[in-house]
Amino acid sequence: MRRDVFQAIATPTRREIINLVAKQSLNLNSLTENFNISRPAISKHIKILTECGLVVIKQQGRERYCEANLESLAHVSQWIEQYKVFWTNKLDALGNFLSKEPGTVSKPAIKKATLKSIKKNRK
Amino acid sequence: MKHEPFVIERTYDAPVEKVWKAITDKDQMKEWYFNIATFKPEVGFEFQFEAGSEDKKYLHLCKITDVESGKKLRYSWRYDNVPGNSFVTFELFAEGNKTRLKLTHEGLETFVTDNPDFAKESFVKGWGHIIGKSLKEYVEKKF
Repeated sequence: MRRDVFQAIATPTRREIINLVAKQSLNLNSLTENFNISRPAISKHIKILTECGLVVIKQQGRERYCEANLESLAHVSQWIEQYKVFWTNKLDALGNFLSKEPGTVSKPAIKKATLKSIKKNRK
Repeated sequence: MKHEPFVIERTYDAPVEKVWKAITDKDQMKEWYFNIATFKPEVGFEFQFEAGSEDKKYLHLCKITDVESGKKLRYSWRYDNVPGNSFVTFELFAEGNKTRLKLTHEGLETFVTDNPDFAKESFVKGWGHIIGKSLKEYVEKKF
């Protein structure tokens, strides 16, 4: 089963859970109070978040608290960064191609228009 | 936490028609983008190309979803045998005799990263090779 940061942030509920626990550690009951869905449903999301490594459960006395572990979110920006490099290079290459490509479209277009106006003037 | 699509913009000193041709004509695409056997800017048209490093190639599978001639080209972009799907959009805006190109790549987060075959290094390496070496050499040799 797929368990990574992308899976973790794939649903609005889990994103909201991350937002909440990023501010402060919360136990399951306090977390559930923020949602209109059942405690077991929240519990299931927490399970996925812990499996994805974004949330860590810490035992404090009789309570289990959910704590955010946001380091893995950096994977998302790293992943996007690769595409930034890729597209930056590709669009630079396009720029080089456009400036060096001999058969320009703009020149004939201007020439045609100029020719037309010359012909008109001759008439 | 919402996934913002990746966006990059460039302004080229070339008219829209010329840029449109460069992104839709396979002979021109080959010179800066990828070598694609057949390409037609038509909705539903599917094309594919291999890209990656010398030792590991990824088959890229694309299907055109939107075409507005001279303005917009959008296609899906995924990898053979890799879960996930993304969409690449090229939008062209005439600015005098220049053309502003806006490229949007949505859905990048849908690709798995914990698969070692699909790891970051191989990508950067692959692209670095294609763009930094092959393409540069080709362009400089040709012109």
